[in-house]
Amino acid sequence: MITRRDLLKSAGVGAIALSVSSQPVFAAAERVVKMEALMPPPKGNRVVICGGGWAGLTVAKYLKKENPNIEVILIEQKPVFFSCPISNPWLADLVGLDFLQHDYLQPASKYGYTFMNDRVIAIERDKRRVYTTRGYIQYDYLVLAPGIRYNYSAWFGDNRELARLTKVNFPPAYIPGSEHLALKRKIHEFEEGDFIIVVPPGAYRCPPAPYERACMVAEVFKRNKVKGRVIVLDPKEDIAPKGPGFRAAFEQVYLGIIEYVPKASIKEIDPVKKVIKTTAGDFKFTDANISPPHQAGELVWMADLIAKDKEGKPTGWADQDPLTFQAKADPHVFLVGDVIGGVPYPKSGHMGNSQGKIVAKVIASRIAGKEYKPTLPDNTCYSMVNGSPQEAIVINVTYEYNEKEKKITPKPKTINERSEALAKATYEWARAIYRDMFS
Amino acid sequence: MDRRDFIKTCGTVAVVSMLNRDFFSQALAQQKDGMFQAYKKALLVKQDGSPLKEEDIKPHVNYIFFYPHTATPCYLLNLGESIPPAEIKLKDGKSYKWGGGVGSKKSIVAYSAICAHQWSYPTPQYSFINYYPPDTPSETTKKAGIIQCCAHLALYDPKAGGSVIDGPAEFPLASIVLQEEGGNFYAVGVLGKDQFQQFFDNYRTELRQQYGSTAKARELVDKCIVMEVDKYVQAVVRC
Ligand SMILES: Cc1cc2nc3c(=O)[nH]c(=O)nc-3n(C[C@H](O)[C@H](O)[C@H](O)COP(=O)(O)OP(=O)(O)OC[C@H]3O[C@@H](n4cnc5c(N)ncnc54)[C@H](O)[C@@H]3O)c2cc1C
Ligand code: FES
Repeated sequence: MITRRDLLKSAGVGAIALSVSSQPVFAAAERVVKMEALMPPPKGNRVVICGGGWAGLTVAKYLKKENPNIEVILIEQKPVFFSCPISNPWLADLVGLDFLQHDYLQPASKYGYTFMNDRVIAIERDKRRVYTTRGYIQYDYLVLAPGIRYNYSAWFGDNRELARLTKVNFPPAYIPGSEHLALKRKIHEFEEGDFIIVVPPGAYRCPPAPYERACMVAEVFKRNKVKGRVIVLDPKEDIAPKGPGFRAAFEQVYLGIIEYVPKASIKEIDPVKKVIKTTAGDFKFTDANISPPHQAGELVWMADLIAKDKEGKPTGWADQDPLTFQAKADPHVFLVGDVIGGVPYPKSGHMGNSQGKIVAKVIASRIAGKEYKPTLPDNTCYSMVNGSPQEAIVINVTYEYNEKEKKITPKPKTINERSEALAKATYEWARAIYRDMFS
Repeated sequence: MDRRDFIKTCGTVAVVSMLNRDFFSQALAQQKDGMFQAYKKALLVKQDGSPLKEEDIKPHVNYIFFYPHTATPCYLLNLGESIPPAEIKLKDGKSYKWGGGVGSKKSIVAYSAICAHQWSYPTPQYSFINYYPPDTPSETTKKAGIIQCCAHLALYDPKAGGSVIDGPAEFPLASIVLQEEGGNFYAVGVLGKDQFQQFFDNYRTELRQQYGSTAKARELVDKCIVMEVDKYVQAVVRC
């Protein structure tokens, strides 16, 4: 007889079972165990990619480019791609929504991979199966690229009601979709008072995003002649990256509108009374954009591939080889994009795209029975710091690997002096990288 | 493959028979790997239509012309010093021979101006990929005497067949093979991995707007007007 424990283990949902009430999970696990194959077993080499964001899309296309005979299946829960990059200029109406949205069908049809619009609900690594809402798919190699999840329990413990109220009323808008639309509505309807932006603590998606967002929200307030301030609550000691560039924009372009508060770690949030208590003081607010700490997306937890610190506690990020992106615990699984841990890489779309190409090469070589020495990814990140005229700043980082010390060192180059030329380059950065992923 | 076969393969009898012997044998060797593609032989001319002469190509000025298709932009540069031939190594371990500079000082080179990374190219509105002369280093990378693309900071070496110095590009810039005959300059083919297919795939809408149809944008040219890039482009974006 299969026990409840076995069931949870075999359905690969142990990690969820620990974090939420176990009864519904038990039911979900039971459902998973009864599921049938969604596709016939692989004929040759099948790579299943979970998550069609910046990283997953790149792996899918480049795997087919490396070797068209590899069967590639991309599973993504959203029907349309919505870009976080450039979403800040979009908040201030500098670009339209069509700039951010793309269809998944074009690259799938052009490069010949399967796009499956479905949600992954469980992973069985020992049987090499991925479960979607409709059945399971067998894989030879699995790529997990689910991006981030929000960790409200770091603030609210088991109090789900507080987490729900905070998320619904003051959405983080770090995972694209409704949250971004809600944020845009909020700032365009804002009349007066303090609008707070909370910078997430620890490693988080897109380090410059909250500062760029502050500029673009302030841009809307300036345009609408709103009597209000944008207050940036940052747990860090100072703005980073591109600190001097953002600071200059706060002080020169948005003086009196943006107020930057460093060393403001969150102690308590009351989403009903609209008060945030921090180590830098208490703040009452009219409206807010509140981001809790980030973690690797659900699927990495589900697959039990989260790294542990010295005390054995989960770090929140994936445990993968720093060069090949292969899961340390499983040679058949690769982890890519924002989920990865233990490397000095920012969680950015450009990074996901750059890593995706490396992962495609590593997997294709492995399938061909060849050794491949991976190169290191790179990152270029533009930030719009003024909307009228449009001006941006930029950071570019390449990396060096010290074989002896097994250490990766970043080599950053920054232009903190904002310019219209860099604003033009911001859009060209995006256009080019969308081209790479979608056409 | 004998010379006759090669000529048939390229389908450009007139072009190939005019190539000098050295280059011809090199190209023949490279044809196996598909690294050289001969196109219509095209005369480089000034904006008034008269043939471009060596003295018209000023050192370190970024010139643009379109070759081998009406819509595919290329850069012409006089690097002010003799540029020797080089072996261009690709990241996949393959390599090809590049003939170096042409002209009396062997200082003149030409490259496709379509970034080999994600195909940013100079349009009439702006150019993000540009030449940075020795006295004008890039602000971000602090390098000079290079071709740099501001989209994601790919850096190419015009002195070394357009090979990648740094940044995300996997391939060098394709070189435009130039030939000098009686003081006139001709473009005769493309060496290296061109990005024309991706270019035409990606810019259908833009090319239609600019040229009327993709077919027009794809037409092969037999004459190339050479002009300074900032006369063609409204905003030369440097970074
Ligand atoms: C406001 C903002 C601005 C930004 N600006 C920039 C910028 O200018 N430049 C830059 O490089 N980066 C920027 N970023 C960062 C960038 O968006 C992320 O780093 C990037 O999206 C990470 O790619 P990824 O593939 O790891 O994750 P994602 O792009 O989030 O993709 C993960 C995908 O997995 C899917 N998924 C998750 N779970 C499941 C499941 N169970 N089943 C099926 N599908 C699933 C999700 O729906 C999602 O589509 C910005 C981010 C924000 C929030
Ligand atoms: S398109 Fe030129 S560097 Fe990316």
